[in-house]
Amino acid sequence: MSSESREKFTQSKLDRCISCGYCLPACPTYQLTGEEQSSPRGRITLMRALQDGRLPFSDEGAQEQASFCLGCRACEPVCPAGVEYGVLLEEWRDITWRGRKRPLIIKALFQMVSAPWRVQLMSALSPIARKRKSSTDIHLALGCFERRLFPKVSRAVAKLAPNISIDPTQGCCGALHAHNGDLEGGKALAKKLGEKLPGTILSTAGGCAAHLSAVLGQERVQEFSQWWSGNLKPMIRNGKPIRIGLQDSCHLRNGMGVFKEPRKILAQLGEYVEVPDAQGCCGAAGSYSLLRSRDSKKVIAPKVAAIKELGLDYLVSVNPGCTRQLKSALRRSKVKTKVVHIAELIALGP
Amino acid sequence: MAEQSLASALTALLGADRVFADSAAREAYSRDATPLFRGLPEVIVAPHSTQEVAEVVKFARATKTPIIARGAGSNLCAATVPLNGGIVVSMMQMKKIIEVSRNEMLAVVQPGVSTTQLDDAVAKEGLMYVPDPGSKTVSTIGGNAATSAGGLRGLKYGTTKNYILGLEAVLGTGEVIRTGGRLVKDVAGYDITRLLIGSEGTLAIFTEITTALTPRPKSAQYGVAYFNTLADASIAVDAIVSAGILPATLEFLDNTCIKAVEDFAHLGLDAQAGALLLFGDDGNSESVAKTVGAMADISSSARGVRAVTLAPDVAAAEALLYARRCSLPALARLGSMSILEDISVPRPQLSRAAEAIEKISEKHSLLIGTFGHAGDGNLHPTIVLDKDDADEVKRAEHSLSDIFNLALELGGTITGEHGVGSAKLPYLRAKLGDVSLSLHHNIKSVFDPDRILNPGRLGS
Repeated sequence: MSSESREKFTQSKLDRCISCGYCLPACPTYQLTGEEQSSPRGRITLMRALQDGRLPFSDEGAQEQASFCLGCRACEPVCPAGVEYGVLLEEWRDITWRGRKRPLIIKALFQMVSAPWRVQLMSALSPIARKRKSSTDIHLALGCFERRLFPKVSRAVAKLAPNISIDPTQGCCGALHAHNGDLEGGKALAKKLGEKLPGTILSTAGGCAAHLSAVLGQERVQEFSQWWSGNLKPMIRNGKPIRIGLQDSCHLRNGMGVFKEPRKILAQLGEYVEVPDAQGCCGAAGSYSLLRSRDSKKVIAPKVAAIKELGLDYLVSVNPGCTRQLKSALRRSKVKTKVVHIAELIALGP
Repeated sequence: MAEQSLASALTALLGADRVFADSAAREAYSRDATPLFRGLPEVIVAPHSTQEVAEVVKFARATKTPIIARGAGSNLCAATVPLNGGIVVSMMQMKKIIEVSRNEMLAVVQPGVSTTQLDDAVAKEGLMYVPDPGSKTVSTIGGNAATSAGGLRGLKYGTTKNYILGLEAVLGTGEVIRTGGRLVKDVAGYDITRLLIGSEGTLAIFTEITTALTPRPKSAQYGVAYFNTLADASIAVDAIVSAGILPATLEFLDNTCIKAVEDFAHLGLDAQAGALLLFGDDGNSESVAKTVGAMADISSSARGVRAVTLAPDVAAAEALLYARRCSLPALARLGSMSILEDISVPRPQLSRAAEAIEKISEKHSLLIGTFGHAGDGNLHPTIVLDKDDADEVKRAEHSLSDIFNLALELGGTITGEHGVGSAKLPYLRAKLGDVSLSLHHNIKSVFDPDRILNPGRLGS
């Protein structure tokens, strides 16, 4: 079904929900409000009302919930009935955020990554990893916003993995589109990237990895911490191993089931400390921090307090959106902990 | 009163951020975890204090508006579906753990605290909040008290009604009462606490709950026995308890459940077996080993036994417990709708109940998977069906009636731990009889003279 013609949810996916409510405690927006309509079960009740015509898709309260949801998918691993909530949310936005109804910020972001040359433009001023061709079948996905914001990440990977190919002429993976109401566009971009980067795609962004693996198949995609297999020595600073915490990437954890892997790496690098609610969304949620900046800050607030208490040297992220969100939140609260991507930390060496 | 004026009057009372009357909010609160029941409330309020609850109740009384208290909405008997419209009072903004007293072994909490939150908080003091309904991660203490929730530890430890020491509650008049308290012994007056437990929001709205705690067991051990039929497993359960053993865990699954769980979770269960019995105990490790060993011995020589094994480590034990816990979701995946029932029978009648349910399943050509708390005589026959198949839905309704009649014939009850709500109200008279039902009605009049609290349920 093309994005132009979608008017309904996939019925069988809606039918999956047994309304047990096991998702409620896992949902960050429900934690904020305590209101049923901002819980996953409540949102599915709304989707059913939309599907059956009891509510019009234009209903303001319903639209607000489609937008308020972070899309973190923390409800999926705790769901006993296996509801694919992330897919249902994508369908919801595909129906309601079509054409003129799409938020302006999202339209602008779509524009920025609409063609490979535009994506390349994003790294015009940032020194990302250089182009190179290797004999192995592994290609680095460079990400769009990661190139611009955190060019050191691809350079770190290039240094740590001399055998992978890097092609800066690649385009966007389409995760942005899939999460913001353009499902078909999101799929098409992922497929295009899959053709451009044959073999295994290595990604340093949990969000991109999860989207690519959903479209291309998980055998085609490896997130960096999943792929890394080297042995590491502890990093010693001031005579002591460094204290490291991790913020999970929601889609990496809830979509791909990858969360043990980065912890294993970090436990080799120093004293690993589990941040309370590390699996809970940091509020970045892709474009959410731009669209709903105030809610995004509310979501991260308790996390910042917890991180401050732990006195970490490094807080490790596995997704650029999270890196940006954590950096700015910690800066605002004057917390000294440095935020780095896991590849950057490994590349620092002992 | 029209929705808008209801909402604006309540807004004047509580402030705009506590009152919701938009279509989306009303839709979201039109359901709980019970299939087939739906009803739109006119307005939802989220009070922050006992005082605010009392004011809402007074307002509802003055305007004769139905008022339904709601926690997490995880009940399975349609106890919180606003079938008559009215005001839903969400207790989810009152979620403080006020006190955990180690020397008195009790906790004082607001009603919106979840069962798991309370148990986690008291675990830090080496204590345990015993009742553990399947929905414990989401269900609230307020909701547990209102339905007298059960769980997997009933046989040895009892259920919610055994763990509530005192309540603060708002009556249907808007008056606030305190019942019970912090004392182990206190026989001054009628036991109103016990009367309110399980009253499903029809007599009062709980605003503070004092719960009893027990020392947290230091170890636990589990084993599994396979039988040819659920009736065989039931006979083994009866033999275990008759031998003077009172274990923490005696749970079973029939073949339909075993197959569904195995397809879903791949735990290496014996999918050919007619029944799986999970047994276990907690406490100090020596006595646990003895009890679990004895249960294994009794099972090994019971009728129709296929195999008995003890879980060698924590991981194996976890897998067994998971098999039991995921029975419902595993079954639910087999159809577009599942109706989870909850009858209870005297333990010696368990094998007859198991056999009869199988016959009911055949009679109505329905897929019914049965699991349950065997030690408590509490069975959860679960009908899995296609919600769009009108004939199948009809047959399911007939089979429910058969199941309830069966329970009553065997000296059992129509609900062991889920509650009556709206779902089982039609069968309440058969269980209670005319005199008792009319007593319920009269009791309701005393607590709630204008019959505004959760109308249409229990003694209404």
